[in-house]
Amino acid sequence: MALLELQGVTRSVRLPDSSVLDILRGVDLEVDVGDHVSVVGRSGSGKTTLLNLLGLLDAPSSGTIHFDGRLVSRLRSGQRDRARGADIGFIFQQFNLLPGRTALENVQTPLLYATGRQFWQRRRLAAEMLDRVGLSGRMQSMPEKLSGGEQQRVAIARALVRGPRLILADEPTGALDIETGTTVMALLDDVAEASGAALITITHDTNVAALARRHYRLDTGVLTPLDITRALAAALDVPR
Amino acid sequence: MRRLAASVVGAMVEAAAELRIHRTRVLLSLIGVAVAVAALTTVVGLGTVAQQSSLESYERSGGRAATIGAYFYSQSGEPMDAASLASSVDTVVDKYRISHHTSNGYANQRVQLPEGVADIPFQLVDVDYAVIHRLTVLHGDWFTDRDAGRFAPAIIINEGFWNRIGSPDPRTHPTVELTGADAATAVVIGVVESFPGDTTSSGMMLTDAFAAIVDPAVLAQQPPSYEFWVPEETSDQLTTLLSRDLEAMAGEGVQVDVNRQDFGASGEDPFAPIRMVVTGVAVLILFLGALSLVNISLVTVRQRIREIGIRRSFGATAPRIFFAVMMESVVGTVVAGVIGVGVAIAIVQSPIVQGYIAPGVIDIPPFPVDAALIGLAASVAVGALAGLLPALVAVRVRVIDAIRY
Repeated sequence: MALLELQGVTRSVRLPDSSVLDILRGVDLEVDVGDHVSVVGRSGSGKTTLLNLLGLLDAPSSGTIHFDGRLVSRLRSGQRDRARGADIGFIFQQFNLLPGRTALENVQTPLLYATGRQFWQRRRLAAEMLDRVGLSGRMQSMPEKLSGGEQQRVAIARALVRGPRLILADEPTGALDIETGTTVMALLDDVAEASGAALITITHDTNVAALARRHYRLDTGVLTPLDITRALAAALDVPR
Repeated sequence: MRRLAASVVGAMVEAAAELRIHRTRVLLSLIGVAVAVAALTTVVGLGTVAQQSSLESYERSGGRAATIGAYFYSQSGEPMDAASLASSVDTVVDKYRISHHTSNGYANQRVQLPEGVADIPFQLVDVDYAVIHRLTVLHGDWFTDRDAGRFAPAIIINEGFWNRIGSPDPRTHPTVELTGADAATAVVIGVVESFPGDTTSSGMMLTDAFAAIVDPAVLAQQPPSYEFWVPEETSDQLTTLLSRDLEAMAGEGVQVDVNRQDFGASGEDPFAPIRMVVTGVAVLILFLGALSLVNISLVTVRQRIREIGIRRSFGATAPRIFFAVMMESVVGTVVAGVIGVGVAIAIVQSPIVQGYIAPGVIDIPPFPVDAALIGLAASVAVGALAGLLPALVAVRVRVIDAIRY
């Protein structure tokens, strides 16, 4: 049974002039535990909308989404929130660290919505996770005192601290230089693989997408498998 | 249960962190609440002091609740037997076990003053008068039972009288000469406060001491009235019984009027106007305090929309966000409320303020607990009200839009 399964998912919005804009059209996707999937698309192709649906943040206009065997549309709002908190970790392009809080407090944030051991031992768990991403010396640093790479590592630690089964990375290297981006992606891949979580990377960068095992292209709302070798060659403009 | 405990503690941790991180903003917004609560509590507290001042003023003139007055009139104009009336009063006092009673009469007395002889009005009372009318002396002592037997009658004079005789210390036993048919040397044993602005002279003397130096016909023409301090709950019943008994003992030709004469006699609440004004001011202050806090809270929540979206992406449910935003508001205003109540206590208990609001109050009331509770309840209410709108805004945030905000 797939961890996440999308069947014929569409998402459309009504524009102010009453016309309907189809953002996603007939998306089918299966993601298993431990999978690493990348979705490449240009700006406006529907990447972020797809991410929101995958992260149970939005509902499709039609089609079905199953998460861990459960039909998401049948879950109540609170159940979706709790499932998201327990099983899905988000990594954003702009890091989205909470201002005014240290790296340690940022990583503790998802644990505030947990229960049991995860809640009561949140400080220790957060410290361990920061140590895993190599930031044990920057735990008390404020986000603005951290470099872009360090901020994204804090965001990775925050996304993984509750041990999610699915990690959603939205342009995880978009705000980083090439070298730092490569390092961060290698770290993300390692940590995800070590924890056994599925990783879906949504990006416009084919080099980042190439790190995944399965590759998709999203173009005008349609999701299709991507031949990453050809995409890389095209990006490098290498004649075939 | 585990989830609930974690949720409550988690929301408190979030609220505390939020207050710590935004302490400058929180401090500035809560100063307004603290001032509003301090003003509210101060107004309620001072209202209590003012009420006590009014109460004591009422009690000085009409006696404490419940004071029953008995007045004797001769229907024929013939003199009455003052000693017999006094004996009747003693009988009913014993019969109904009345703890405090006093005679209350008036007589003009000629007194030799440094600038010449003057007619000074004297009030004729018994020892219990001071208790019933909550009267205290500024200097010296009040009458005791032994003063009735003095050869030189003891008198207590007001400040105006005292100033005219050179303000002698009563401990030195100063005397004044009473002249006329009932000439005697009187000893000043105490001085009572004059009413504000009153420069006239007056004195007080025990009725028995007065009876010893005057012609009995004087008292027979105008016998004193009597006052009985009784429990409020039995005052109506005792009024009827005293009227019946005193009328029976006074005999033919003497009319006896017995009625309650303290401030509660009318059945209306004499402090209702004070309370209405205080309540009106308090509500206005509360409204203004809440309004400013709602304003600040709404602006703050709009600034935090992205943060709320991020929290939702990590699994924060809508009720949890609602509770956390409410908690931030309530925790902050409760702290401000405690500070406000503390400031109010300092203001209300200040001797300078009390001297201005209620000069001459004898029994300064302790800071009213209800005022403190009203202040704290108001701070919680303001926090809840001010937190409600932002909390509603917070839960209506669309997570997707919020993260992109």
